[in-house]
Amino acid sequence: MKYFNLLMLLFAFSSSLAQPNCEAYKYYGDTLKYEACKKAMEIKGHYQFSKEYQTVLDESIEIDPTFDYAYWAKSIAYLKSGDFVTWKKLIDKAVEYNPKEHLGYRGWCRYQFFRDYKGAIKDIEKLDSLVDYDIGQTQNGTYHLNIAKGMCYKAIGEKEKAIAILEKQIKLNEEENFVGAYDYLHLGVLYLETEKFEKAVETFKKQSENNEVAENQYYLAMTYLKLDKPTEYKSCLDKAKELYIGERRMTDPYSNPMDKIYLENIENELKTAYNNGYK
Amino acid sequence: MKKIIILTTVIFSLLWSCQTEKKADEKQEYLRWVGDIEKNEQIDELEFKVCNGYDKILQYFNLGKGPVYSGEKSKILNTFKSKYQPITDKNQNGLIRIRFIVNCEGKAGRFRVLQSDYSYQEKNFNKEIVSQLLNITKEIENWEVFKRNEVTVDYYMYLIFKITDGQLTEILP
Repeated sequence: MKYFNLLMLLFAFSSSLAQPNCEAYKYYGDTLKYEACKKAMEIKGHYQFSKEYQTVLDESIEIDPTFDYAYWAKSIAYLKSGDFVTWKKLIDKAVEYNPKEHLGYRGWCRYQFFRDYKGAIKDIEKLDSLVDYDIGQTQNGTYHLNIAKGMCYKAIGEKEKAIAILEKQIKLNEEENFVGAYDYLHLGVLYLETEKFEKAVETFKKQSENNEVAENQYYLAMTYLKLDKPTEYKSCLDKAKELYIGERRMTDPYSNPMDKIYLENIENELKTAYNNGYK
Repeated sequence: MKKIIILTTVIFSLLWSCQTEKKADEKQEYLRWVGDIEKNEQIDELEFKVCNGYDKILQYFNLGKGPVYSGEKSKILNTFKSKYQPITDKNQNGLIRIRFIVNCEGKAGRFRVLQSDYSYQEKNFNKEIVSQLLNITKEIENWEVFKRNEVTVDYYMYLIFKITDGQLTEILP
């Protein structure tokens, strides 16, 4: 978790880290791309959404219409404003000119912003087929791309496949001491949904040790209910509510994460518990 | 002969003007920010006001709280679940985005619609689907009021609806 937090901090500044090294183009003799790159660097200090930012990148593309970075950088504002039509046109260009660099990003965004599960799977699997190195993390650093892929398989109904993917990736993450913020939680929910209750409890307990959130206690409660353990069920629901009110819950700056729950869900369950005599 | 010359001139000038318009369309003039919505008095409600001026409208995520809904997202989900009447049609598939401004009082206005199929190609859905989603969105009376440095702000917000066979399957963000 310690390393995870450090990574999250780095990802918070990822837009500056993602800048290309223009000098490298010059070194390899690609002067056109070097010029396009130098032009693109003039975006510094301008907001992604602004006219100035977009215009500089248009000029960069005019210098070299195959400069993938400029298309990628232009696409971000369209993504964040929900303009899926323009975003897709731009990011497709970036992928066309540099698939290894942008396929993982496009796949993740398809999932994060548009819940395009099949499209995300296709991109992540394509990337995996193109490279012989680890395909890495999602853009925001929350997940390994394989975890994101597993969640997409779950969303299209392939839960056993999703479990296999998450189990495999979490094992690798554990070896690296680099388990994602919600990895155990998603796997636990999958176990719960496929009626592997003992495994679900074990996995939610790992999530508690790694990063406790209201959702984790809520799903643990629901698992205890299935296991007919009313005391634990009620206690976890109370804890879920406390955590939720204390803002210890799943968050994402742009969307609502998979398996997120709302205060209404916890309160309705508490009412049900009360009505069934679990006090 | 004179008539023919006049007619030819008119046709050429018409063709030329269409072409120029197309060219202008290709080279897009940017507004202040991507996704900005300018006021259109023909379609926008006249009583809707932006409190702090057009130049100060933010995006919903600029305040670092993520997508926040008055009464949480579950309220939005319940609203659409209870009001939207599905149009069963195998050809009605894709994404519909409704983008709008939430002002400093939590009121929404300047609604704009974007539609595409699941391959992100623009298309037009059955009008009944779009008008239902638009009307339900417009009927939501209160949106979250955001503050920056203790001052209430205006911001852009959007809802994306995933439609499969005319059924509303997901609402984002």
